[in-house]
Amino acid sequence: MSVRLPEPLQRLTTDPDAPLHQGVYRSALRDERLAAILGAWLGILFSICFVTGLYSHVQQNPVSWLPIPARPAGLYRFTQGLHVVSGIASVPVLIAKLWVVWPRFVSFPVARRLSGLVERVGLFPLVAGGIFMTFSGVANIAQWYPWRFSFTASHYWMAWVTMGSIVAHGGAKWAIARRSLARPSRRPALAEADPELGTDAEGAGAGLTRRGLLTTVAAASGILTLTTIGQTVRPLRRLGLLAPRDPATGPQGRPVNRGAANAGVIDLAQSPFYRLEVTGRVARPLSLDLKDLRALPAHDAVLPIACVEGWSFSAPWSGVRIRDLLAMAGAEPDRTILIESLEPQGAYRTSTLNPGQAADRDTLLALSLDGETLALDHGFPCRLIAPNRPGVLQTKWVNKVVVL
Amino acid sequence: MSAAPRPAGPRFWISAAVGWAVIGWGVYGIFSNSLDTRPANLARFVVGGALLHDLLVAPVVILAGVLIARAVPARFRGPIQAALAVSAIVALFAWPLVRGYGLAANNPTSLPHNYGLNLLIVLGVVWAVAGVAVLLKFRD
Repeated sequence: MSVRLPEPLQRLTTDPDAPLHQGVYRSALRDERLAAILGAWLGILFSICFVTGLYSHVQQNPVSWLPIPARPAGLYRFTQGLHVVSGIASVPVLIAKLWVVWPRFVSFPVARRLSGLVERVGLFPLVAGGIFMTFSGVANIAQWYPWRFSFTASHYWMAWVTMGSIVAHGGAKWAIARRSLARPSRRPALAEADPELGTDAEGAGAGLTRRGLLTTVAAASGILTLTTIGQTVRPLRRLGLLAPRDPATGPQGRPVNRGAANAGVIDLAQSPFYRLEVTGRVARPLSLDLKDLRALPAHDAVLPIACVEGWSFSAPWSGVRIRDLLAMAGAEPDRTILIESLEPQGAYRTSTLNPGQAADRDTLLALSLDGETLALDHGFPCRLIAPNRPGVLQTKWVNKVVVL
Repeated sequence: MSAAPRPAGPRFWISAAVGWAVIGWGVYGIFSNSLDTRPANLARFVVGGALLHDLLVAPVVILAGVLIARAVPARFRGPIQAALAVSAIVALFAWPLVRGYGLAANNPTSLPHNYGLNLLIVLGVVWAVAGVAVLLKFRD
């Protein structure tokens, strides 16, 4: 099977001076071993992103057959921090990998066999998917949305496309990657394999060596990681020069993603007519004002807010346990609980607690943060705070607890 | 870097089948959730990203590589290439922050730093290290 180009185009690829001729790309760094090492790094980083991303997806789109446990409390903070850190670290690796293999994208004939054609066609979802995943992820943590689609839905479904391409590509490159990774000592030096090219490219100090390129990539990944990880690892906060959030900047010294003004709740949240309703499958529906809530037994818990965008902070919260409220209202046991916000609209105005999460001792409607009354931007009069949960599901300005 | 084409074995075809099934699942998901994924708009970004890289970024980087090879003496080339690559990547990453594309109104915690200055600080460190590396090469 051979896919050939029309003659004038074909000449572009065979004429030694034409830009599409493979011999034009003389850098010794465009080699199999580098491609394999960078490919392996990317495979690992993208797999971490995929698994932690799936976990975040199931958190936000609960399925009955896989209930999210309430413990360990900091699990989501860890997995989502890892997701964003791995994604950021993969940016330089992807760019370097694309550079190393670039001449292959313009090599002709396109394929000599059916398998070659299958492999070649698979490069498109691989490259386009890899670029899209890193670009959309980086734009999202900067809260930049230059598109009209939903980020979460598109990033999620494109992750399957990208991961599928990685599986197909990994199988196609397995033998060649193993050969170039496993026996570096028996690999001929470039100067042996191709004296002319070798001496030109590998002459003493003539630009980056293979190791130099890998070090450069690692340095770029390291710089991006160090200058952003401070948004979730508190001791490295001061290094967070390029972090989209600072864990110590904001109302009450804590950041928020969506403040009261943007949620449109400033008046509703401070209204003297505010009531918290506990309704649904309950024996005694409750309607509590702020004074009633403050009179209920308070419970303290140190829990993280872990944003899907990778920033997080841990803080002491105090408030009423959901399970105490449910007991007061005589709720049916083992039900899913719907938490509703005063927010008039928005994708995250409600969230649900599965029975295990609702029964946890630390699942609270928090009235205070750091011992102070909750700031309006943090969800005054009360907000949900529960262990092992994405920040967007820690519903703020709660006015309804519905037993489903 | 091209190997002689050999017949593809079972590993190739099994991973191709599994891989394309997973790709198919992703494409199915995109179209069956089209209210959220807006396939036409999504396609512009997916295809556009690849084209932007292949037709603009890659040729520009290759041209830069050629210019460096001509302009910079061979023994200093490594550190200069490395510093340029790191600078370009860090600047690309920081660009939406520097421009404040995602700056939310009414939210003082959104993009709290002076990213333009911070980017210059990071680039300053990168080029300081590159400068030291060049000086060391001078001494050799």
